[in-house]
Amino acid sequence: MNAKRVTISLLLLCVLVPLSQAQIKHIEMRVEGMT
Amino acid sequence: MKQHLGRQSGVQNVEVSLIDGKVEVTPKEDGQIDPAQLLKATYDSGVTAAEMDMTARGKITKDASGNLGLQVAPNRSFVLAPNDLSKGLGSLAGTQTMVTVRGQLYKKPEGKRQKVDTSVPLKLSIFELEKRE
Repeated sequence: MNAKRVTISLLLLCVLVPLSQAQIKHIEMRVEGMT
Repeated sequence: MKQHLGRQSGVQNVEVSLIDGKVEVTPKEDGQIDPAQLLKATYDSGVTAAEMDMTARGKITKDASGNLGLQVAPNRSFVLAPNDLSKGLGSLAGTQTMVTVRGQLYKKPEGKRQKVDTSVPLKLSIFELEKRE
């Protein structure tokens, strides 16, 4: 039972860790009509 | 506009250059920033967004129709506009490889000032592959 839980936890880590490193780093806009 | 954009979710800092009409947005690391919402907020503050470019790190995905995407958060991804660079990333779909890319998310259609249609998902047109790891 414990081994199953550890396996599931490891699988979740494999999926979630890379996604947590994913991110929008920078956004740049060119705008018109700004005074 | 700076204050209006700065109040949007996931925005850490906004720098506005009046001379060349550039607006630089630094996101927080919470992944809450929504580019479509930023476009809407820009319009609401009384100016027109002509272009929006984004640098992002994420995983390449492929949907059921075969469209490639860049997943930048568990609940946020952008469809990739087909071009040579996006085609080159197709082999990474479904893998754990992370890529950092620069691309254009929005370009104003020719003509008059138009309200940004936030119901249409933004497509990312990649023009630079910065990193692949």
